[in-house]
Amino acid sequence: MTNINNINRSDFQYFPFHLVTPSPWPILLSFSLLTMAIGAVMYMHGYSNGGELLSTGFILTSFGMGLWFRDVIIEGTYLGDHTRQVQKGLQLGILLFIVSEVFAFLSVFWAFFHSSLSPAIEIGGVWPPQGITPLDPFAIPLLNTILLVSSGAFVTYGHHALIHGDRRGAILGMFLTILFAVIFTILQYYEYSEAAFTMSDSVYGSSFYASTGLHGLHVIVGTIFISVAFIRLINYHLTDTHHQGCEAAILYWHFVDVVWLFLFIAVYYWGGM
Amino acid sequence: MLSVALRAVRPVALRSARRASPSTAARALSTTASRLSGPAAPSIYGTGSKQGEVPSDETQATGLERFQLLGEMQGVDSFDLEPLDSSRVGTLADPIKVFSLDTERIVGCTGAPADSHELHWFTVRHDKTRRCPECGSAYALDFQGVAEEHDAHHH
Repeated sequence: MTNINNINRSDFQYFPFHLVTPSPWPILLSFSLLTMAIGAVMYMHGYSNGGELLSTGFILTSFGMGLWFRDVIIEGTYLGDHTRQVQKGLQLGILLFIVSEVFAFLSVFWAFFHSSLSPAIEIGGVWPPQGITPLDPFAIPLLNTILLVSSGAFVTYGHHALIHGDRRGAILGMFLTILFAVIFTILQYYEYSEAAFTMSDSVYGSSFYASTGLHGLHVIVGTIFISVAFIRLINYHLTDTHHQGCEAAILYWHFVDVVWLFLFIAVYYWGGM
Repeated sequence: MLSVALRAVRPVALRSARRASPSTAARALSTTASRLSGPAAPSIYGTGSKQGEVPSDETQATGLERFQLLGEMQGVDSFDLEPLDSSRVGTLADPIKVFSLDTERIVGCTGAPADSHELHWFTVRHDKTRRCPECGSAYALDFQGVAEEHDAHHH
């Protein structure tokens, strides 16, 4: 119970910001990422044990991230370190991160348009290149578009339910979002396995799989992000006014959805004409 | 050599371990920072949320967040983040008062009106009225905190 009569101002720190206690995760994660990067380069250039080093680095990175985020959840939900000012800082942080991701996708889109707007003579001076059978955009890609846009609607419904104290609605909304996200991923995997072209098939294959592949990785990350928010929602971590992690996941998911819309229009529809 | 030395201190070490008071008991090195950190803020909790309902901050917030929330509910700003009075230049006779919970506070001055000159930072202590090196505006500390002899934990 709040012992409101025993609280002295001097018992609490005078500023609202969170000075984090010493943590091993930043430096551990730093070395894990280095391991993963070197492993990836070794693997892609055929050096022996590259794959093993890549897997090791990936596992270390995943665990490092998990343990770091776990600490953030402990500090925010269980220790109460996340004052309004700290929350705003976290919100700004995730926003800037998403902006950086936008720039990453801009680069892949640039590469796509560079090769497709002025097709080289070596591929027949046409786009799609000679001999490439593109996917029908109005088959699975259109279904995937509907799935992602619907999942965006479901997550918005779930968020509003959370704000209005409707626990059942919030859980339902988040669950349907995750369900549709997983179905999207499964369908993309199926498309990848059945497509008539591979990543090695001219610049078309390179740009198609680089752009949709990068997007697919973001869908998987976004699904995990929403799932974590979903688990926290079930475990009563989130309140109707304080749920920064959930809002961050939702924002990330909308970003993933918008990138797909650009992909669908540019790469699938226009790029397949 | 080492085993002989260890054997020599063994009885002393065992004795102190058995007779361990909190300050001399053996602990893992990893707990040093936590143990020597000094007094922590009191734990403040709400009533907790009900099963099947979405919790609210009032029932669930804790720690500094709860402290801020309680202050807000009473109309009190817990952290004094508002800018200082920049409508006038402080004088030695009538300095600009700087609210502070500690015996000194860092002040940034850009003159009157605000943004008149480059930002200057300086520390205003409770025993001396400090003047801005550029515009001469005088600031005096309005100490509202608790006088502590041995300030073990820093705010």
